[in-house]
Amino acid sequence: MAYIPQYGPGTSHVAENRRRQMNPTYNLEKVRDITDEDIVMVLGHRAPGSAYPTAHPPLAEQQEPDCPMRKLVKPTDGAKAGDRVRYVQFADSMFNAPSQPYQRTYAEMYRFRAIDPGTLSGRQVVEARERDMEEIAKFQLETEMTCPALGGLRGATVHGHSLRLPEDGLMFDMLDRCRVEDGNVIMHKDQVGRPIDKKVILGKPMSAEEAAKRTTIYRVDNVAFRDDPEVIEWVHRVFDNRTCYGFKPEN
Amino acid sequence: MADDRKKMFAKHMEIKYTKEHGTNKMEGGEITDMNVEYHRLGVDQNPRKLEMRKAGEELSKKRGLVGYNPMMHCGGIPLGQRALTPSFLSGTDDMVEIDDLHYVNNSAMQQMWDDIRRTVVVGMDMAHETLEKRLGIEVTPETINHYLETLNHALPGGAVVQEHMVETHPALVDDCFVKIFTGDDELADEIDSQFLIDINKQFPAEQAEVLKETIGKTSWQAAHIPTLVSRVTDGAQTSRWMAMQVGMSYISAYSMCAGEAAVADLSYAAKHAGVISMGEMLPARRARGPNEPGGVSFGHFADIIQTSRTTPENPANIALEVVGAGCMLYDQIWLGSYMSGGVGFTQYATAGYTNNILDDNLYYNVDYINDKYDGAANAGTDNKVDANLDVVKDIATESTIYGVENYEKYPTTLEDHFGGSQRATSLSAAAGSAVAIATGNGNAGLSGWYLSMYLHKEALGRLGFFGYDLQDQCGATNVLSYQSDEGLALELRGPNYPNYAMNVGHQGGYAAITSAAHAGRGDAFAVNPLVKVCFADDLLPFDFSKPRKEFARGCLREFEPAGERSLIIPAK
Repeated sequence: MAYIPQYGPGTSHVAENRRRQMNPTYNLEKVRDITDEDIVMVLGHRAPGSAYPTAHPPLAEQQEPDCPMRKLVKPTDGAKAGDRVRYVQFADSMFNAPSQPYQRTYAEMYRFRAIDPGTLSGRQVVEARERDMEEIAKFQLETEMTCPALGGLRGATVHGHSLRLPEDGLMFDMLDRCRVEDGNVIMHKDQVGRPIDKKVILGKPMSAEEAAKRTTIYRVDNVAFRDDPEVIEWVHRVFDNRTCYGFKPEN
Repeated sequence: MADDRKKMFAKHMEIKYTKEHGTNKMEGGEITDMNVEYHRLGVDQNPRKLEMRKAGEELSKKRGLVGYNPMMHCGGIPLGQRALTPSFLSGTDDMVEIDDLHYVNNSAMQQMWDDIRRTVVVGMDMAHETLEKRLGIEVTPETINHYLETLNHALPGGAVVQEHMVETHPALVDDCFVKIFTGDDELADEIDSQFLIDINKQFPAEQAEVLKETIGKTSWQAAHIPTLVSRVTDGAQTSRWMAMQVGMSYISAYSMCAGEAAVADLSYAAKHAGVISMGEMLPARRARGPNEPGGVSFGHFADIIQTSRTTPENPANIALEVVGAGCMLYDQIWLGSYMSGGVGFTQYATAGYTNNILDDNLYYNVDYINDKYDGAANAGTDNKVDANLDVVKDIATESTIYGVENYEKYPTTLEDHFGGSQRATSLSAAAGSAVAIATGNGNAGLSGWYLSMYLHKEALGRLGFFGYDLQDQCGATNVLSYQSDEGLALELRGPNYPNYAMNVGHQGGYAAITSAAHAGRGDAFAVNPLVKVCFADDLLPFDFSKPRKEFARGCLREFEPAGERSLIIPAK
């Protein structure tokens, strides 16, 4: 019998949203277009149009050893080219952001290769070869995984995910990287807060209703965690197994 | 259970987030509002920040070298882009500036650690046996009183045997003293009251009986070396300083020969054989001697805090006082400074003892347990519920979901605990302490802690910083592990326990769970009756029965610490 990944428990739409984001065979809805140049600009790692800085020569120019693992594992485009490793870091509001730190990590692990994610409470960072990372960033910024008002790129000073929302609905940002202009969220600083040469349009904020529909966060004013008992049952099962295994592994 | 109770954090949230403090414009609105206006006022909005900025400017002028300058933050964007709000010490109505919760700014916090680090318990019985059997010297209550008078002169640094000796100035070491305690009421009656920690007076009757029975007819010294000595040296100095002065005092009080071979026997018996440090020595990779915070077991810490004798009828309060003290010592001082450096850990730690958020969660749990388990959260031994996984799951799940929902219903509490590590500490400490109170079992409480972490992570899709993935994801597996380096009773675990050595926001909670188990049973002590009695002393500068109130006094600059040097420095 072929293994069919289940991705996660739960009968609510919050649980279903989690599974969709993780499932690499599910086509997440693309809700906005952001150009490659704009992605590069807000990431702030290199000037748009400039060549990718490299950490080593392209693999094709190197004398690769005769290694069965290298034959088995196909290098990503960034690895082939010898790109340096760079990062993108997201922050997502507790107020019904479509994604959240663990969700981004799980989704990236299922959908991309050669990544190194780090998961915290107010932010989620993923490192990869630079061109691979740009692809990962673009995917998340353009799809339903991100609301530009409730989530954003924050390489530093990420404080804000748990703060009340200001009137314009933009998650608090001490460095004021984003603003709402003409109904769109624009980014006028890069992810670490350095001013950039143009305003990058990140798209329209999701309405409160849309965010509640797309979110992967349980909330008492949307889907309360206690109202998805299958998830709690699953957590209890994990807890039971870990506890009992530590007590007596053979059981 | 219907959630119609008054939220204990409500008043504090209202003052913090709907009343102006300084000039922060945080006026109006409700604590349930999801929206707010951010005025981006910087440090000008806050009285303490203004004071600090002025001090920084004066310092720069005075020394010709720049110092504190809030505009150095984020390349010219100062703190205070959100409102800078004050905090309340939980369990009190004392409103404080959050900067004053850093131990550098808080003399009470410093003194709490000073008082632990400079303390050692030293047995007297072997010394007395040596005196009597080896040297033929009679030991009586009168000779003990004389010895204690001698030692209270010598321990601070007074000479007792030799001529032309340097001594310490009494006004600089005025916090140094030694007292005696015993489970023998007859002996206690014969001891001069100034030297006695009277168990009968300091503890409720039932606890006193248990303590006296446990200690028996043995007698112990509670020695506190000078704060100044302890600060200049380290925790390991405590037993050495004590030992030298104890040795000299025996020689003097009992008129012994300083060079006689028998005195070597006495030296070992009096100075080393019955010594109990507050903290164990740490392994070489952490390189700390005894009486440093990393070696203070959770059981010892639960005994150091004295709330169990002042509010024995309220197990939750006992656990909450231990949380506060534990977060300060283990997070702010041990992990925050000894292990990490810097100032950031304070922000994590304060979530455990400010603004009544954790308190509300735990007192809700007490009500829940008493309703469902027939009063199991009341202090007692015959009302406890079985410590099994079903009970752990029930209580910890209800506790965690209640806490999570409060963050959702009251966005101001979410803003107050702005980091997941803060929320994780608060939620898990509530869950773990509740299970411990209900079962009287620390490891069951610890189990509840880890389940809370799993539930929290799954509900919100986030937990704390990276470290939580390690410690809290594997934690359940070592709660009941039979492996000798993992499966320890919580009372005997400590900050250097495997996986516990690296992660802020946990150890205060673990200490609280330890104390909660015994507070729930109404026990007189958690693991060591000698430690419990040693700190039951009103002469200590820090009042260990109410550490959170003491921290507030430190914030308000009302606390009088020991070890001050004003006598020997130019007057200002």
